[in-house]
Amino acid sequence: MESRFHKELEELKMTILQMAALTERALEKAVHSLLVRDTEVAKEVVRGDQEVNSLELEIDRLCLKLLALEQPMARDLRFIIGTMRIAVDLERIADQAVNIAERTIFLASRPPLRFNPAMQQLGDTAIDMLKSVISAFINESEEQAIDVCQMDDTADELNVKILKDLMDYMLHDTPAIERSVQTIIAARCLERAADQATNIAESVIFIIKGVNIKHHCQRT
Amino acid sequence: MMEKTLKMESKKIDFYYGSFKALQEVSLQFHLNRVTALIGPSGCGKSTYLRCLNRMNDLIPSSRLVGEITLDDMNIYESGVDVVELRRRVGMVFQKPNPFPKTIFENVAFGLRVNGVKDRNVLSEKVEISLRQAALWDEVKDRLQASALGLSGGQQQRLCIARALAVEPEVVLMDEPASALDPIATQKIEELIHELKKNYTIVIVTHNMQQAARVSDTTAFFYMGKLIEVNATENIFTRPKYKQTEDYITGRFG
Ligand SMILES: Nc1ncnc2c1ncn2[C@@H]1O[C@H](COP(=O)(O)OP(=O)(O)OP(=O)(O)O)[C@@H](O)[C@H]1O
Ligand SMILES: [Mg+2]
Repeated sequence: MESRFHKELEELKMTILQMAALTERALEKAVHSLLVRDTEVAKEVVRGDQEVNSLELEIDRLCLKLLALEQPMARDLRFIIGTMRIAVDLERIADQAVNIAERTIFLASRPPLRFNPAMQQLGDTAIDMLKSVISAFINESEEQAIDVCQMDDTADELNVKILKDLMDYMLHDTPAIERSVQTIIAARCLERAADQATNIAESVIFIIKGVNIKHHCQRT
Repeated sequence: MMEKTLKMESKKIDFYYGSFKALQEVSLQFHLNRVTALIGPSGCGKSTYLRCLNRMNDLIPSSRLVGEITLDDMNIYESGVDVVELRRRVGMVFQKPNPFPKTIFENVAFGLRVNGVKDRNVLSEKVEISLRQAALWDEVKDRLQASALGLSGGQQQRLCIARALAVEPEVVLMDEPASALDPIATQKIEELIHELKKNYTIVIVTHNMQQAARVSDTTAFFYMGKLIEVNATENIFTRPKYKQTEDYITGRFG
């Protein structure tokens, strides 16, 4: 039995998936532009943020309407609350992508720093976490969501490693300080994006199981 | 919340209408100062179960109950139980308001008279208390001698609640008490239930999920004569354990 209300829930799901797809693309492009110093792609990321923002507003509006008019229960209620939270985190990830793109535009106008493979790894980890968590949401997979939570440590470690490397670098090469700081900021954005993907994983688990695992993400 | 005190309990009861088994192994506990909501699709046995709790089904020929229902420590189906006294202790409010074609005063005083109260002052006092408890006093205090049939539907339902309360029951059973009422009257009944639970044990059948969510502490979901799930109302409506419960309360049934 497919009620009008459940069709609207499907529509909400489609909207958040669209937002997720745009966010995923923004993060991929931002990381790519950072690594290959591509100013054009970076500018695309900055311009594209508007669309993510308006989708967040649209999701907010849909959720508010469904809560007020349908008084949803149980799974439906959890889905709507979870979706609202996920939209907030997606919007923040898209903002991290914009921030990275802005660092890229600065860095591309200066001589390149020594290549650091940890940066590539951190970018890959953040993107991987975002993709996995979207897939966990689509498939309602608790397993997959838990895996995402557990990847967060890797992102933290890579960020620390990059920070140490660049601090060391700055000590020996003072003219590179400004570029190093910008790169540290970019790494920090990726680490934050990974945190936000972890938040999304927690929301996915909340939708599936109705339990809040915030602040202690682990197998239940 | 206060400690839970067990007031009534059914232990694995089966109930038959002739050869038709309408209830199967239903075990439920009801606590003092708690509201329990019974929910489930039409025909699942909610009203049947409710009527078992004060032996209203006794009136139905060839019906039969197997198992035990206790009120405090008494098995209410034991031989020798005074059914009139049982129904005084376990009162009932029906879906459709059913006032007697008498005055407002006499409607409320009815149960007291049946129980042998004759003193005019005692009657007046108890009628007033009951009408106040049912949040109807202010609306009718100036026309106690008018016919109850002249009241609105919502007022009639509160009058029936006052009538049920007048005999000072311990448990109040309500079978869809607000289903025939408008939102304002419904809200009054719901507020009333919140008030009443300070003194009584309440069991309410309702088809309105939001109402069950609003008024009850515990919710029991019935399906095809079986109790599928019982839990704190908050849990039932946010994360029920069983798929059947979830499908029912989210309107995905059938
Ligand atoms: N007096 C009776 N004689 C025979 N069968 C009955 C009698 N009363 C109820 N039944 C049957 O018992 C089952 C449970 O009925 P009951 O009235 O308890 O359901 P309910 O859950 O209260 O439904 P509703 O939500 O429609 O009020 C139904 O199949 C019904 O047809
Ligand atoms: Mg019924």
